[in-house]
Amino acid sequence: METSFALTGKGYVIIASDTTAARSIVKMKIDEDKVKALGPHLLMAHSGEPGDTLQFAEYVERNIRLYNIRHNYSLSPSAAASWVRRSLAESLRSRHPYSVNLLLGGYDVPAKEPHLYWIDYLGTMSEVPFGAHGYGSYFALSLLDRYHNPDASLEEGIATLKRCIDEVAKRLIVSPSKYTVKVVDKDGVREIEV
Amino acid sequence: MSIMEYNGGSVIAMVGKECVAIASDLRLGNQALGISSNFQKIFPVTDRIYLGLPGLATDVTTLQELFRFRVNMYTIKEEREIQPETFAHLVSSTLYERRFGPYFIEPVIAGLSQTPSGGFKPFIAATDLIGCLNFAKDFVVAGTASSKLFGVAEGLWEPDLEPEDLFETISQTLMNAVDRDAYSGWGCVVHVITKDKIITRTLKGRMD
Amino acid sequence: MANAGGGAYSFSLTTFSPSGKLVQIEHALAAVSQGTTSLGIKASNGIVIATEKKSSSILIDDSMVDKVAVVCPNIGIVYSGMGPDFRVLIARARKSAQAYWKIYGEYPPTRVLTQELATIMQKATQSGGVRPYGVSLLVAGWDITRGPSLYQVDPSGSFWAWKASAIGKNMVNAKTFLEKRYNDDISLEDAIHTALLTLKEGFEGQMTEKTIEIGVVTVPTIEELEQGKIGGETGRPTPTFRKLTEEEVRDYLAL
Repeated sequence: METSFALTGKGYVIIASDTTAARSIVKMKIDEDKVKALGPHLLMAHSGEPGDTLQFAEYVERNIRLYNIRHNYSLSPSAAASWVRRSLAESLRSRHPYSVNLLLGGYDVPAKEPHLYWIDYLGTMSEVPFGAHGYGSYFALSLLDRYHNPDASLEEGIATLKRCIDEVAKRLIVSPSKYTVKVVDKDGVREIEV
Repeated sequence: MSIMEYNGGSVIAMVGKECVAIASDLRLGNQALGISSNFQKIFPVTDRIYLGLPGLATDVTTLQELFRFRVNMYTIKEEREIQPETFAHLVSSTLYERRFGPYFIEPVIAGLSQTPSGGFKPFIAATDLIGCLNFAKDFVVAGTASSKLFGVAEGLWEPDLEPEDLFETISQTLMNAVDRDAYSGWGCVVHVITKDKIITRTLKGRMD
Repeated sequence: MANAGGGAYSFSLTTFSPSGKLVQIEHALAAVSQGTTSLGIKASNGIVIATEKKSSSILIDDSMVDKVAVVCPNIGIVYSGMGPDFRVLIARARKSAQAYWKIYGEYPPTRVLTQELATIMQKATQSGGVRPYGVSLLVAGWDITRGPSLYQVDPSGSFWAWKASAIGKNMVNAKTFLEKRYNDDISLEDAIHTALLTLKEGFEGQMTEKTIEIGVVTVPTIEELEQGKIGGETGRPTPTFRKLTEEEVRDYLAL
């Protein structure tokens, strides 16, 4: 089942998402990248209704790029998150709402701070030290309550993330086999192997 | 499953002697699953008005932004600060605009209103999700723990409490009520508004 | 509104002349200065607005003609210029006051209502297919933040606050007269007499309760305010603006 995790550490945010694209009980694809880089210092994991997820993620990506071109300046993670939240909140009360859940992480370059936002399809938003969506969240959140450390180094952060992945692999009936893991810090966005 | 109980959360406001207090829990949940223990539901409107917005979390943010917009426009247009009574009517009419597709929020307003002779009078009010105003003289409650809050507040509240005593009363009322509510808790925030300062304190409760 | 669609043939009638003037607005001001004289005086404890009411025929029932209009319990307006334009503006002002009441549960401050009216009048100078309003207004009102205030609004949409002002046919003479008579601590009673005296200058015909209209703003005392802005029995706010009855006008004229 679809699962995504994210956590902050000292100067970085890690976002991980499984790579399956499922339809009913069938895995249609096992190498789908569901963590999008929205900018040089901004990452977004998207999950939910297939179709909506990609459509909405690209809509967000293009609009954030447009802002960049128009103003020659990047939106801060908090501003980007507010914009995304409002888009979802307006969509919720429209005729065809998007059902997309997001984890939006970014590195605020001027303030030198990492930020992570938990956003659901209703437009609920909360800044969190760590967050998760999907069935994996029931396992990951309690693990993260125990092991998360906001001042952890990148290696320690990755170790914590591995605990989450392993726990989900062990306890969830339909656990995902593969994850894409991306990090955003002062040097920008990059994918890492776990 | 009720939409009003989807995210959980509660707010209470009380009147004291030349002061008012407003307090809320800090939980954000998805039904029984806790998401955040630092989700603010109370927002400053002016230096002497605070607004609590318990209910569906997406609407908490949407309404907070909407009221910030409307109050800013009021302040600029009228070149004066909005008074609690006027703000309460603004809240009511804003919610009633969506009578047939409401925001799932039950707002609580606490503030000090300026009297014609220059003094300050405590003011509290609450509305339902479509803006039916309830002006109370003692206390108002809202959110998933409202039934419990009523009971505890009924027992603890007394008239003319000084700011520090009011703080103790509202804190005890909220903490004990949310302990009996599965959807509220995970810490509290309390604001006491007096004529010359605002006391804001964050409290830890049973963090489970 | 007729101009809302903005079709191919809807163009602005108010166009800059090469010298930078908007001639249509100047024509509108000319229409105002042909209108009957109106004036307003702010006193220490209130405001008076007054106007002369002239009928073109003795057969007109002038008890039905209203030149001083109540907008809401705390605001009243008098005008000089074109009656029909005034009627339209009053309807808009009353609607705006009620809309404000529906949102905030109280009536608008004088400044807010004046600004609203000024915006409506300004729009008529920039929209396609419409002409400017041919009126100047004197808006008198009371509110808790600014107390009693008197504003003048012109066809251009500009507005100012006055201690005393006059508009219409005799405005230049009337203003000179008011400048001589005005002082900052004049009482409302004295202001009403000054208003009548000013109107008398250049008044054609007999000044009677039938040919004069007066509106007054009275400032409530702190005690009255502390009792609450809502009148006990009716549930309505106690009015601070009211029109004087014919009997009251007669009594003032007799003095």
